[in-house]
Amino acid sequence: MIATQLHLMKNFHLAILLPLLLQLPSAAQESPFFVTYTHHMEEPGNLDLEFSTTNGLPRSGQRAYVAPYLELEYGVTARWTSELYLEGQSTSGDSAVFTGWRWENRYKLLGREHWINPVLYLEYEDLNEASRIQKEIEGGGPDLTSPNALLSPTRDHELESKLILSSDYHDWNISENFILAKNFSQSEGIEFGYAFGVSRPLGTLASGRDCHFCRENFSLGAEVYGGLGSTLDFGLHDTAHYFAPVLSWAVSDNSTLRLSPGVGLTHETNPVLIRLGYTYEIQDFTQRVAKLFGRRP
Amino acid sequence: MKLIGWGLFAALLATPALAQNPRYQPDPEWRAPAEAQGRENPLAARPELAAGGRKLFIRNCVECHGRDGAGMEKKHSADLQLSSVQQQSDGTLFWKITNGNAKCGMPSFSKLPELQRWQIVLYIRTLKP
Repeated sequence: MIATQLHLMKNFHLAILLPLLLQLPSAAQESPFFVTYTHHMEEPGNLDLEFSTTNGLPRSGQRAYVAPYLELEYGVTARWTSELYLEGQSTSGDSAVFTGWRWENRYKLLGREHWINPVLYLEYEDLNEASRIQKEIEGGGPDLTSPNALLSPTRDHELESKLILSSDYHDWNISENFILAKNFSQSEGIEFGYAFGVSRPLGTLASGRDCHFCRENFSLGAEVYGGLGSTLDFGLHDTAHYFAPVLSWAVSDNSTLRLSPGVGLTHETNPVLIRLGYTYEIQDFTQRVAKLFGRRP
Repeated sequence: MKLIGWGLFAALLATPALAQNPRYQPDPEWRAPAEAQGRENPLAARPELAAGGRKLFIRNCVECHGRDGAGMEKKHSADLQLSSVQQQSDGTLFWKITNGNAKCGMPSFSKLPELQRWQIVLYIRTLKP
């Protein structure tokens, strides 16, 4: 059982790590968080390709799983970022399933930097109940015990909104996300969730030489996230909550590797949730595409 | 053969000019508050840190301003060599890097640590023609 789980994770992680080996020396300054959003938007015209996995280690009655997802993040304007997600899930001793897609938009409300910078977030999700990437937790959290055959036929059309409040204070980023979600496919009321995160780069001065392992290329932090029930059953009862340290490493000018070993704080969680992500930024994506079709951008 | 050589030389000289933005017009509404304008660069006495600023400039600014900082016409980006830019105070440049100007497509770089933004200001000072 354990050997199968390890094999499963190893395959997905190899898929993430392989592109790193192909990188040329060259630091995208990505937020180290997996769940918490900050007010920092994607630069206009740039496209981030992100491949991540959420790996759940089981407690009694659960099975280990790997939930990979592909994220395409595009900077529409300096204040508007749009993202498309495609996600799946593979459970040890069960099956692998495609769990659906999400389309999210973030809009920074204020043009300039303030003590607190609010961002509005709106997402449409077309997922099935087997989704386990846990990009956020709302309501009670995902079903971690039922088999995929039972979960995947149930589709959820969900609209999710977040109020993102984020502050940069002496090189620390402090962010708070408040989540409201409405599933139009089921009568669950309106579900609530939260995510809070704090992070800081290890080095605040940039060295003059090109280096992979300079302190400036690393950011450390921690995030805590979970569900707060719904309008039908509000509160902490039967909800999932995690605490997760986060680390990001700017491997090159346009790629970042992130790692987060999370710990489940309640019985409705996996005891350990390991997240791994690799982001590759394509600068000037719009102009590159325009050039490809021979058009003047 | 000599003619081809001179032709190549002339083309080489003309290349940076093609990347420049001679039509750059500063946004009159993009002004730093007086308090921000008066801030001094805490790294002003450490010019050697401009090397790190150069690295940051290449990572974050070259895409729009070009390697020599002369701006790009198609991006409507500022020519950082212009005296109208170089005459601005360190505090003003720092404020502009921090806040960006969404109206003109200039993103905010507040995600960079404060000292790194000051390093970029140090480097911009070296772009004087």
